[in-house]
Amino acid sequence: MSARGVMGARWGARGTHAALAIWYAAAVLFLFAPIFAAIVYSFNLGVVNKQTATITGWTLQWYPAAWNDLSLRRSVESSLIVAFWSALISVLVGAALGYAIVRHPLARARAVLAALTYILLIVPESVIGVSLLLFYAETGIPLSTATLVAGITPMAIAVVALIVRARVLTLERRVEEAAADLGSSRAKTLWFIVLPQLAPALAAGVIMAYTFSFDNLVVSAFLTTPQINTLPVYLYGSLQYGPSPAVYAAASVVFVFTLSMLGVAALIYRLARRPQSAD
Amino acid sequence: MTTPSRSSLSARSADHVVAAIPAAWLAVFFLAPLGFTVVFSFARSVFGGVELAFTFENYRTALTGFNGATFLRTIIFAVSASALCLAAAYPVAYFLARHTGRRRAIAVVLILVPYFSSFLIRIMALHMLMSRGGFAETVLNALYLHGGPLDVLDTQTAVFIGMVYAYLPIAIVPLFVVLDRIPKPLLEASRDLGASPLKTFVFVTLPLSRPGVATAVLLTVVPMLGEMVIPRLLGGSKGVLMGQAISSQFLQSQNYALGAAMAVLVLLAVGVMVVLLARLTKGFAEIGQ
Repeated sequence: MSARGVMGARWGARGTHAALAIWYAAAVLFLFAPIFAAIVYSFNLGVVNKQTATITGWTLQWYPAAWNDLSLRRSVESSLIVAFWSALISVLVGAALGYAIVRHPLARARAVLAALTYILLIVPESVIGVSLLLFYAETGIPLSTATLVAGITPMAIAVVALIVRARVLTLERRVEEAAADLGSSRAKTLWFIVLPQLAPALAAGVIMAYTFSFDNLVVSAFLTTPQINTLPVYLYGSLQYGPSPAVYAAASVVFVFTLSMLGVAALIYRLARRPQSAD
Repeated sequence: MTTPSRSSLSARSADHVVAAIPAAWLAVFFLAPLGFTVVFSFARSVFGGVELAFTFENYRTALTGFNGATFLRTIIFAVSASALCLAAAYPVAYFLARHTGRRRAIAVVLILVPYFSSFLIRIMALHMLMSRGGFAETVLNALYLHGGPLDVLDTQTAVFIGMVYAYLPIAIVPLFVVLDRIPKPLLEASRDLGASPLKTFVFVTLPLSRPGVATAVLLTVVPMLGEMVIPRLLGGSKGVLMGQAISSQFLQSQNYALGAAMAVLVLLAVGVMVVLLARLTKGFAEIGQ
């Protein structure tokens, strides 16, 4: 290849790299733009207590306003409660599912559970939402916090199951066999040998499940009642008469909260993983 | 040798308990409700309720006139928005897999962080950005890409932008995973045999990334088929898609039977997508292991 050809190829590669980098940067900017916008609008004065697209001035008043808004506060409270129970149930059920998909002794059981997880991921949320509404209405079960929690668990379970499954795939089966050879019952092995090894995946899973449950809108929209109104459903409802700027203040707080939770999850996962990769 | 068989028996029972917990929970709170929907989709809607029957009347109503048009529009919309998402995601995933070097983890996290923050609030803020007098208008005017007020809200374009926005990260992830796993020696071999970078991409990278493409399409097209929040917030009355139509049958019209039939149609559409995409990845089971 001539010198010019090599130079040309190098310039071509550089051009491709630059173009891809620009595309990536544009994507990140696009993805973050609404988040920054929400934070900026939380300081926007607005016009007569209404949010406006144009920035009319700066104020800090929406943060105390959000704090003092009773219905907003109640919706945050119920969101926290619902997400707590959903995360707790999802991590238990999801961990069992993720483990059984990999380690169940019967191939057919593994296949059925894997298919079930797959189906969980591909049924649109709105279909699950209306199905649950129909289910509760026709079985005569009154809507409550419990029905809402049960309704939003399937998706969180799928997320936990995938995380746990990925972790179980990296575990040495021989460790479990050694425990069995040393006389440990299967239940004891699961509890004392498998569970501790799954800890980082469970921690990551519980936080992911919490985040998803806290944020759930579509299924919740069908299952909430005036008494149990979660934050996303409350915000969704409030959009009809134009969101109060206080909404963005609450949203900004939730953003910071969610991101720090995810940061903690990532940290736990990495810290717990490190010693294992060392040996 | 009774001990091993006894221990294997107890081994099984513990494993069965572990499998039974999720199976039972999901049977009650996931499969049973879906079953109700399927059963009710054949029921007859009567004044103030639903009467169990076996009729295709709901499907006929759901597939004709306004409802049929909505169903068709939803499918076209979901497929094209998903394709656009894929086109936008592929270069990003390619960049992440091949060009980020040591900063890769941060580069990936930057894509994922927005996805994990509140969906509704991001769409609400997107609404603000796109409305008259918002940031998008200011930026487009400053760049001379658009003159005067921006009237994109309450159009199908707005819904399109919203869909691509919301599902871009989950299109990027599977593509990134697959591109990352393509063995480097294959690319080197292609180069050594004299193929240009473009040829290597078209004949080596692109075909090998098919499973990622299929997963990306699946993960975006499925939620798009049922999406009800984005069309309502960004599309106003012009963007009604299936998700919204179904929800209004349940929440406003109280026609559970028709709503159930429409939900089953969405599930069928999802099923067709899964089958088509599975064909795309045929023979790929061994890749990436």
